[in-house]
Amino acid sequence: MAPLVLPLLVALPLLAGVLLPLLPENRPVLVRSLAALAPGLQLVLALLCWWYPPADLHLAWLPKLGLSFDLGLDGLSLPLVVLSGLLTALAILASPADQLRPRLYFPLMLATNLGVVGAFLARNALLFVLAFELVLIPTTLLVAIWGGERRAGAAIRYLIYGAVSGLSLLAGVLALGWFNANGFSFAYDDLMRAEITPRASAVILGLLLLGFGLKLPVVPLHGWQPLTYAEAPTPVVMLLGGAVAKLGAYGLLRFGVGFLPDTWMAWSPWIAAAGAVSAVYGALNAIAQSDMRRLMAYSSLGHMGLLVLALAAATPMSLQGAVAQVLAHGLIVALLFATVGLIERRTGTTAIPELSGLLNPYRGLPFTLGMLLLALMAAAGIPGLAGFPAELLVFEGSWTAFPRATLICLVASGFTAVYAVRLFNRVGFGRLDNERADWQSTTWQERLPAMVLTVLVVVGGLWPTSLVGWSESSTAALALRAQQIPPSPAQTFLASATLTFPLEVPVS
Amino acid sequence: MTPPSAAAETTTRPPLIPPSQHPYAEVIHRLEAGGSMLPDTPENLMQIIGIYKAYAVPMDFYWRDLLYIAERVFLDPLPAFKYFPTQEYLDLPNSYAGDDSKLRIWRGQATAHPELLEFMAKGETRPMSKLLHHLWHDRINMEFAEACMEAMLWHQGMGGRFYDYLETDVYKANADRAIKAYFKGNPLMLGLHALFPEMFLEQVRKMSYYANLGLFWEVMAPVFFEMSDIYDEGGFKGVPDAMDFLVNGIFAVAGRPIYHHVYIGEEMFEIIPKSEGFTWLYEAALPYVEAVFYRTAPFRGTKSYNAQAGQVPEVQADFHYGILYADVFPVGSAGIPPTLLMQDMLHFLPPYLTELYDQHKRGEADILIQLGVTFQRSMYNVTSAVIQALRCALLYPLDDTDPEHLMANRKFFEAQMDRFIRPEARLPQIQTQDYR
Repeated sequence: MAPLVLPLLVALPLLAGVLLPLLPENRPVLVRSLAALAPGLQLVLALLCWWYPPADLHLAWLPKLGLSFDLGLDGLSLPLVVLSGLLTALAILASPADQLRPRLYFPLMLATNLGVVGAFLARNALLFVLAFELVLIPTTLLVAIWGGERRAGAAIRYLIYGAVSGLSLLAGVLALGWFNANGFSFAYDDLMRAEITPRASAVILGLLLLGFGLKLPVVPLHGWQPLTYAEAPTPVVMLLGGAVAKLGAYGLLRFGVGFLPDTWMAWSPWIAAAGAVSAVYGALNAIAQSDMRRLMAYSSLGHMGLLVLALAAATPMSLQGAVAQVLAHGLIVALLFATVGLIERRTGTTAIPELSGLLNPYRGLPFTLGMLLLALMAAAGIPGLAGFPAELLVFEGSWTAFPRATLICLVASGFTAVYAVRLFNRVGFGRLDNERADWQSTTWQERLPAMVLTVLVVVGGLWPTSLVGWSESSTAALALRAQQIPPSPAQTFLASATLTFPLEVPVS
Repeated sequence: MTPPSAAAETTTRPPLIPPSQHPYAEVIHRLEAGGSMLPDTPENLMQIIGIYKAYAVPMDFYWRDLLYIAERVFLDPLPAFKYFPTQEYLDLPNSYAGDDSKLRIWRGQATAHPELLEFMAKGETRPMSKLLHHLWHDRINMEFAEACMEAMLWHQGMGGRFYDYLETDVYKANADRAIKAYFKGNPLMLGLHALFPEMFLEQVRKMSYYANLGLFWEVMAPVFFEMSDIYDEGGFKGVPDAMDFLVNGIFAVAGRPIYHHVYIGEEMFEIIPKSEGFTWLYEAALPYVEAVFYRTAPFRGTKSYNAQAGQVPEVQADFHYGILYADVFPVGSAGIPPTLLMQDMLHFLPPYLTELYDQHKRGEADILIQLGVTFQRSMYNVTSAVIQALRCALLYPLDDTDPEHLMANRKFFEAQMDRFIRPEARLPQIQTQDYR
């Protein structure tokens, strides 16, 4: 694979972002198409990297600060780059054809993609922080300019939480480099072998947990999420929930589990507890919501709880489950918001009490509701859809390490079905008000992003290797606990019996 | 009685009674001026006449098949072919159309309508055998007609003497004779009849309602055909004209006999003889309007009603699931399955209605809903005609100069409008053109 592939992955959104403002203002469809082309090419390029792994790139940048332009792909980052490219392209296509101020809006979406992909590709912790911080600026502007009625409050809250997250992460990463007894470096390869005192490790992990926990988010660091998800434009939320939030999961796995394994192990019961609390808190709050966007926000919070549990368990299977959950949740949350966006565009509201009968075959939005139903089923972990293999791996992988927390998360997962059924029952069924149902059906062009996501959610469920196959060896290498599968009663019985088989060949 | 058309002059006179304070005062004043519950607009006229035409063609099948079932299929325990009326019934001359009719309402032919025959042969798909059309559901939905009949049978007690007659010894004896003749040589069925004498009797009562509704629609089909032809010739100037035509038609055929004859072998059995004196207006039209337009029943299958939670009225007379209240959306709707009738009418829409529907809402994609709303408008007009006819028959002319008489008319109209105060009624919606 050509050495330019990795820089190209970050250059594509950058170039497109610079060129788009030069296009005419009155051609929003053209601007949107070209904007979608960049992450589309990025996606193709990233997929090619699966078959033709590129060599890592190392360019010195500011050596005195330990900052270098190190890019690389492994089993953890590749699927996330693919996910980011995919979701950026789809989020851009999910934006309205007559998008207001397209020459600013789409470059900001691409800038978000640049930061996210840059962070996933980074092989230098300081470069990761820079990319991580870069994401905050365009996403804040997207919320502040194109958001709903309360966009100003949402943007400020998002910015404050994001800034605290970034500062905390910066402090943690700087400490990681400085307190390394093997020498000052931010290169991932060096940090993997870092020797840090337990006390310093504890402080650093605390900072990293704060930084990534805010981004993910996890209870009690989730204060920005419901308001932001409720006020941001739905394509932006697709990107925020599907790709940007995954920076937190990736960071915890790469930095927490990868660089500070001993401290992580020591803290893991508390992390697992936080995961369980998030799962239950998110699911219960989702049940109580009367707005679809806020419901999705709390649903997302609950699913992040499962992810945190899996990371805390750190068994080979749970880490595989964590990566699968990142991918599955990225697709599912993007699909949820894509369908909610379509509903909002037609009905003008996401308030659950104001909507009913949308499954009506003549005046409703039956196709969109069909996709929403599938997304809700996937979120509830129904077999055959992407959420199921991910959650199964999480639960099975975490059970041996934290049975109580796993059990709580299982119950929380059951609550998912409650709010999914409740939401669909209220919005899909019942009477469609003729006086309000004065809207046209969604067009195929509008449905396209959601349809692509729907297909992928089904493929992920029927072919789970597409979720876990990317990172099997990478997650196995990071595992901190061995997978101890408790023997079944039958196995126990067979082990205790002194049966010999006549055709058994003794192993020499 | 003064025909309502003569009441137009009353609009120019100073009012003899104070304005109504009823929530539907505007509608009541319109009725008092000889108008309809449906506002008089050119589009409303076009919509209702167009839908009458589209309704009349399947209705031409309904009445023929209803009579075929009542008179020929009768007690067939496996009536798999009851929706296949014989050629004799398709050629059955309508009493109010054709050259030989005593009272010719429609200037067209007495046998089945050509558009109906064309549809029966070809359907929406292509020419094939009747059975294949039936199995493919490419046919007229007789289930709708049967649902209307069942509503009339079930609600009963809506005035008239018809239902009471079904409990008399005379009727029972007539029915018993027909039952025994029908099952002659069939010891199993005769044995069942001996063991459970009410069983087949109840079926015969049902058959009598088949005949009742068939005879009712035999009148309405030519009325609607004629209205369509008059409109096409530029004959109606407004909605009140169309309503007056209906009122005049009601009075013209009010005395038409309602009977139930059954043909078993070569013999004809008079289960309800014409000599009983049951007439079209009191024994068919009024119960039909009450049962089908107002009451019917919660339509099973689209919405759950919890009777224990009071979602279904305790008294049948309070039922309000008819077309005047129905939500014509297939999901969450109530009453007689409107989708079946909408589907039937869709085949026979005049081009001007198709063009109208194309211009609004989702065009062809939701045409069933749009024509359902049109049907609702048209039935408000039919109900207006019935209300005016009742007022003519029971009360005073609209141009009466006695304030007491006018007040009696007012009370009558207000009592009729009280039935539309409940939120499900669509009367407020049809007052505007944007309800589609």
